[in-house]
Amino acid sequence: MEQVLEKMFFIRTLGDPPDASSPAGPEMRARLSFEGDPSGSLTLRISSKAAHSIAADFLGEEEYAITDQQVGEVICELANMICGSVLSRVESESTFRLASPSILPSTESAAVSPDAAVHAIEIGGGALSVTVDTERAACSAATARGF
Amino acid sequence: MAYRVLIVDDSPAMRSFVHRVICLSGFELSDCFEASNGQEALDLLGREWVDVILTDINMPGMDGEEFLRRLTKEEMLRSIPVVVVSTDATLKRIRRMMDLGARGYLTKPFLPESLRAELERTLGVPCA
Repeated sequence: MEQVLEKMFFIRTLGDPPDASSPAGPEMRARLSFEGDPSGSLTLRISSKAAHSIAADFLGEEEYAITDQQVGEVICELANMICGSVLSRVESESTFRLASPSILPSTESAAVSPDAAVHAIEIGGGALSVTVDTERAACSAATARGF
Repeated sequence: MAYRVLIVDDSPAMRSFVHRVICLSGFELSDCFEASNGQEALDLLGREWVDVILTDINMPGMDGEEFLRRLTKEEMLRSIPVVVVSTDATLKRIRRMMDLGARGYLTKPFLPESLRAELERTLGVPCA
């Protein structure tokens, strides 16, 4: 995850956030599902402030000039890259197929299964957490290593 | 020589990023076209000539694999070099895309200078 943030989004991570469970304050969530062996989904949660900052840097624009739609598109791409990076490290007989990521409405439940692998980091402007939920609990260790 | 590039990716943010990186890298770009999936790219190629194609794999509608298959079947298009830009870094996928005719493969995340290097390597541009 840190490699994706540093290489493509030019963000230095600041270690574990004070509260590893979820970002504080207004947040955005992006989710994408993947098919393969195993199938599952990845959910990215990020504070809105950090999301805007990341989007501005990624698009090479000033924060005030970025629209909410553009922020959503960048966060979806971030989720896509992290998911691909994680799955590339999973030993599997099949090739994974990633669906297009989407921004979740704030009303949608944030519950995750107890077997899901969660990784959270602190970045400038807030926290970011990624949850990988797979069909088989046996994959959790591999996905956790992938983080 | 300045080159005409086609970027194929369903993410508008990614298309914008790649375009910007190409411009900032010093790569000699004359025109940059964009498409959100393989079919849109084929439709565009029916109207415009490009020197190189950068394509994602996972796209709704026509994905990168099918796009490559269609390109290699078209006499007028099969000579255009294709660089795959994807999050999939598995050897299996890389081999499959190269077997389908891709000339280059760049995995996300990538450093901006890597994109220019891969473009120039694919096009046979002498190193500066």
